[in-house]
Amino acid sequence: MFIGTEQLTHTYMPGTPFSTTALQDITFNFRQGEFNLILGPSGSGKSTLIQHLNGLLKPTAGRVIFEGKNIGDNKKGLLYLRRRIGLVFQMPEEQFFSETVFDEVAFAPRNQGLTEDEVKKRVVEALSKTGLDLPGLSERHPFQLSAGQKRLVAIAAVLSINPEVLILDEPTVALDKSGRKSLFDLLTELNRKEGLTVIISTHHLDEAAALADRVLVLNQGKVVMSGPADEIFGRREQIYSLGLALPPVTEIMHALNEKGLTVKTAVYTLQEGRREIINALRRDRS
Amino acid sequence: MTRSITLGQYIPGESILHRLNPRLKLLTLVLILIMLFFLETFSGLIAALGLALALYALARVPFSYLLRGLRPILYIALFALIIYFFFTSGGVVLFRIGFITIESEGVEQGLFIVTRLVALVLFSLLVTLTTTPLSLTHGMGFFLKPLRYAGLPTEEVAMIMAVALRFIPTLMEESQRLMRAQLARGADFETGSFFHRARNMVPLVVPLFVSAFRRADELALAMEARGFRIGAKRTRMHRDIITGQDLAALFLVLALIALALTYNL
Repeated sequence: MFIGTEQLTHTYMPGTPFSTTALQDITFNFRQGEFNLILGPSGSGKSTLIQHLNGLLKPTAGRVIFEGKNIGDNKKGLLYLRRRIGLVFQMPEEQFFSETVFDEVAFAPRNQGLTEDEVKKRVVEALSKTGLDLPGLSERHPFQLSAGQKRLVAIAAVLSINPEVLILDEPTVALDKSGRKSLFDLLTELNRKEGLTVIISTHHLDEAAALADRVLVLNQGKVVMSGPADEIFGRREQIYSLGLALPPVTEIMHALNEKGLTVKTAVYTLQEGRREIINALRRDRS
Repeated sequence: MTRSITLGQYIPGESILHRLNPRLKLLTLVLILIMLFFLETFSGLIAALGLALALYALARVPFSYLLRGLRPILYIALFALIIYFFFTSGGVVLFRIGFITIESEGVEQGLFIVTRLVALVLFSLLVTLTTTPLSLTHGMGFFLKPLRYAGLPTEEVAMIMAVALRFIPTLMEESQRLMRAQLARGADFETGSFFHRARNMVPLVVPLFVSAFRRADELALAMEARGFRIGAKRTRMHRDIITGQDLAALFLVLALIALALTYNL
């Protein structure tokens, strides 16, 4: 098992009249190098689960596993773990506290005790990966940037620890179309070229569906479905019953099938959809 | 940590104590506290303690909350006991080592004071456990009203208190979220000297202030958009009505006090 949980249960404020069970008996396993989605309506426990994967919360019961080992076993291991598993919180630009983009991105490597030369190298690397290597940008105040750029700075601030696993909690929240595009371009690059294991939580499938290898679906703190992306997205009724929607292209493919044109429905991008439709029409004609 | 931030310690419930009018609840609390200071005998205090416990049972407050509420006064109580035991003379000598003597008078007075302290805390705690912070503020606002004639903007002060109470849990939650977010980036909030730790708080404090100011701005705008004006007459969603039940509770307490005073308990 690369990263996952075994019968993980989490209760907030146990033993008080306010106690709520956010996660119940969660078991799943994500593989190294894959692009993983944690899907579920808001309040389904996605954020709680994600914080467990980085050892920020302690399980009420069950275990969190990284590379076959229980991560809660020692405290020193947790610090080391957080250098290998990078976690980007929801609305991460709200954590900014530095006066320049450079200092913001340098926070994590400085905490690792690297020399200032190495820190600088890490920052330059992270900024160039995120496409923020624009002249003068690293000396600007983070609050002066656009929403999309701020989000990228926040991601750069986590990439600067050189993680092997990158976890993002609802990364598309409050981003416009172009912000979402640059975000997913970056995630594609990191996953496909750099080989990072990526885990994102979302309730918005439009851009994420095409990238996903494996999907975990949560509802009210329980696992509803878990498995390879195509298999999960094929269970359309169930996805809809949770108040989630497949990307519009996938919907069009399903509609075409119902109207009698046989096309593949596991299609999540416009290009793929266009190709599939053209092929189907050719087959139809011959 | 989330445990300790149940602000005002309010426990939701449906008991008579929960439903009592907050103004009257505060008034009866003050009366009971005054009564506790007038009680002169042990039996009187024990009866008061019994009454407190009965009321806790009536409000269905878990026993653990009662103990947790008493924890803060543990050291004060111990300190008081020690002072009385060793420094009050009179009565029979119970214990003697060298120049240290413990005499019965001291033991009696010490226990008396501590019992009174426990009773005081239990009654006060009961009010905060069964009243929402918001109703408490409204209740206090009512008693502050006379200060208006001295030129104090009591309505506004009550409003400020209500808003502050409303946002303390929000800010607490936010600070925890921030703390975890910065921990994920390798921040360290625990080790190092005092100054070191204070400096390490910057990644926590700065974003917290930024968001607090943003929230304040948004709230002010939202309040204005809904017609809030300083000095304007406001109405409330929850009307402050005193029912027969409230009056009955007040008379019951008054009767108890009269009883205690006439029989010199």
